[in-house]
Amino acid sequence: MTNDDGFLQGENEPGASKVVLVGALVSALIFMVVYSILYPGQDYPVLSDFETFGSLTGGIWFFILGAVLGMFSIIATMITEATRE
Amino acid sequence: MSEIFTTLAVFWLCAFVFYVLVHRGLWIFSDVARTMGMFMLEKALGPGIDLVEGRTGSAARAWIMQSALWLMIGGLFTFEGMWLAHEPTALHSLSAWGYDPTADTLAATGKAATAFGGITMALVGCGLHILPNLLGTSLASERNGALVSFLYSGGVFVTLVGSHDPLILGVKVMVVGTGIHVLAMTAVVINQLLTVASRVGSIPMPAWLILLGLMAESFNLIAGISTGAINDGDGQWLMYRLQGSGFFFLSLAGVVLYASSVASGNALWSRTLVGATLLGGLFTLNPFGANHGTLVADLFGIDAGEMGMSSNDTVIVTFLMALASVPVIALSANTMLTMRGGNSSGANPSGAGLVEINFGVMAMIPVFIGSLFVQTDAVSGTDAISGLSWTIEEMSRWAVMVPLSLGSVLALYPSITGRQLASASRARTAFWLMSGAVLLGLMLNLTSSAIDMALLDAGVEDPSSLSHELAVAGSVIFYFAVVAMILHCLNMVSGLFRGDIIGEGTEVASSIEADTYNLASATTVSRILTSGAGMDTVVVPVGESDEKGSATDL
Repeated sequence: MTNDDGFLQGENEPGASKVVLVGALVSALIFMVVYSILYPGQDYPVLSDFETFGSLTGGIWFFILGAVLGMFSIIATMITEATRE
Repeated sequence: MSEIFTTLAVFWLCAFVFYVLVHRGLWIFSDVARTMGMFMLEKALGPGIDLVEGRTGSAARAWIMQSALWLMIGGLFTFEGMWLAHEPTALHSLSAWGYDPTADTLAATGKAATAFGGITMALVGCGLHILPNLLGTSLASERNGALVSFLYSGGVFVTLVGSHDPLILGVKVMVVGTGIHVLAMTAVVINQLLTVASRVGSIPMPAWLILLGLMAESFNLIAGISTGAINDGDGQWLMYRLQGSGFFFLSLAGVVLYASSVASGNALWSRTLVGATLLGGLFTLNPFGANHGTLVADLFGIDAGEMGMSSNDTVIVTFLMALASVPVIALSANTMLTMRGGNSSGANPSGAGLVEINFGVMAMIPVFIGSLFVQTDAVSGTDAISGLSWTIEEMSRWAVMVPLSLGSVLALYPSITGRQLASASRARTAFWLMSGAVLLGLMLNLTSSAIDMALLDAGVEDPSSLSHELAVAGSVIFYFAVVAMILHCLNMVSGLFRGDIIGEGTEVASSIEADTYNLASATTVSRILTSGAGMDTVVVPVGESDEKGSATDL
């Protein structure tokens, strides 16, 4: 099937896309913080129904979250580099 | 005769017999042993050996890549152990999934992942690259070397599980991990011995360090089991020390000396100091590490004994530990001077790997002195500063052994993989993060432990808020070591695919390369080098005259 609309997709990835991704992640974290300010003492909907996530207290979880993101980025790098054309 | 001295004597005798056998061979059995060895490494494994490729360098590459991953995991568990030491219920929410770790189990897991996973795999991986190069031959079986790396990693994983839950379904998990470890290391030893058997010249000193380091684990097992030292607290402590002096110190010395010479482009500074390092590593007791032998008991599934040395034994081990300053200082000085190579401004000072090695050898002597105090305190039964032992132990791992082994991996990465790291700037960022995290984080932790110890001695029951805050700050800062290891892993993984290929004009760190240098007047070698000249630059003297000028003759 031919595409007559003239759709184009570039091969190169702009560096600024990473900035957008980081900005999106930071925004998500800010919204989580805002939730706890607006509704103090209230659990997150759905997530907090799980026993583990409901009692996530202490700053260590922020650090573990960072390490988990790092591990996933290593796995993602392995996969993308191995399958890169 | 004391058990300590008997065990040491058996260890030294094994080393001597090995040295003789390497020179003399196995007489009429040499050919049979070689054929049998090769059969065990490849054909005996059946179709399993076809799972991996046998390209040159594939074995070393598999080991060093996994070592970086284990170092990251080791750093994460160590960080969690430090955190739970001041907030014991921080991970309590995981108990809903049946996982409820304590500070001690996390610290033990971090220790196992860092020492057995990260450091050991880095040393073995570098050894698989270095030994064939030094001996002018190729590795006996690249395919077996690569395959065994995954077996070894499986053993480390089992050990990590065992350090959390030692008994699962009535099986001692740590013993299973030890069994896999011994099996994998036996394969590596056979592989390296067959490589030595096909050498074309004499064995250089760094090769002896690596070879004896590999064999020291076997000597330690023979000595500990044959004398029964493995069953009591003093013997377990001694076996821990022999593993530290033998495998870890000797292997580390061989790998670091080779890497510092290769990465800096300078010749090894002193052969005499290498000899002092070799003999010192074999005949002294290195004080780095824990001040008890509980780990040995756990690994072999036996009861940990209490330490209670006689005065004679105390004198012997204290003397041997103090004597360990000779190989430590010799290695430190030799490595530093090799890297500098007579150039006071430092040759290639910012090369990936060299900075980590520089950091490790600088931290080695102060950490050695601290470890020596902690060990003599423990063997004499005084236990006055045992409260500092955990932090000093972590310093010996994260400020000395990890930078040295990781630095060697990074320095040899281009030679092993055939490519440069993906990003030099990312490697530099990771170095600064790691050095800051290790130095500042562990120093704060040490200060916190010292405050707690002083309050305990003074009989003060209320905990100090300052000590708690320092412990919190120490654990948070140590987290940057985890971030640094993630960056190193990303850099190494990406480098395998996208790093500049070696041999395409990318070996030199500087982008300035002058083919010729016109020498018009007297100048220093340093000034020539800083102008962009390299070792292959041709210096061309340009004639000049102070005579008055005149019209050009046509």
